[in-house]
Amino acid sequence: MSEGALVEFIERGAITVGEVHAGSVLDALNVSQFGQEVVTYVKQRQGVRLLLDFHRVEYLSSAVLTELLRINQTCKEVGGDLRLCALNDDIRKVFEITNLDKMFTIYGEHDDAILKYARALSIEAQEDAWSNVQRDA
Amino acid sequence: MEALGVALKSALRALVERGWVESGQTFYAQLCLEEALVNAVDHGNERDPSKRVRIEISEEGDTCVIRVYDQGGGFSPSDIHLPELEQMNGRGICLIRYCMEAVAYDNETNCLEMRMRRNAACPKEG
Repeated sequence: MSEGALVEFIERGAITVGEVHAGSVLDALNVSQFGQEVVTYVKQRQGVRLLLDFHRVEYLSSAVLTELLRINQTCKEVGGDLRLCALNDDIRKVFEITNLDKMFTIYGEHDDAILKYARALSIEAQEDAWSNVQRDA
Repeated sequence: MEALGVALKSALRALVERGWVESGQTFYAQLCLEEALVNAVDHGNERDPSKRVRIEISEEGDTCVIRVYDQGGGFSPSDIHLPELEQMNGRGICLIRYCMEAVAYDNETNCLEMRMRRNAACPKEG
């Protein structure tokens, strides 16, 4: 992790975990840096499966929601996807109020999130393989 | 943006010191203050550095009144609805509406007024 960076990226098999180290607060003051770090990372990784881990984040505002929508769009552009985990109760409520809990897949704690995300990817791969078999038959 | 951070911290400190918000339970008050200030700077003043934003905190009985003044063209909070899922902006005022007891914008004074009871800046149920 480079000095002053807000996000640390760690590869866990097919999934990349982006751990947010923002000194507990993500707001209008540091949101551009947060977005830029993640978008730069995603653009260099075709098909990235990104799990942003918010367990260190105690506060965020709607500026961060906007940035997450941009990141999500960039993930789709490179054929990947974005999921979130370890949101505290207040942050989860912000997602619920804005209906963005319907837009993003949000998991609980880190380890459980990795398991569930990996399982979802495995099911996705099986479905793709099955569609290919049916198409070729 | 740095000035906004200073204003936000100072307003939040005032709410805690005057007993409107408990220290350690500042999430929703901070959220509303930030959304109101960012709205005033970005949408009200359109980020014009020559324009100013002013914040006032006062008491009316058991209600705390927070007024954020900008120098922009004005708007009506009731005209703002929760945006479509993929739309980038427009959630700040909706969050304030959920968390504060009342919110209104006076186009004559260019003032966004938020009202909250003691320790009651929190999302409404339902």
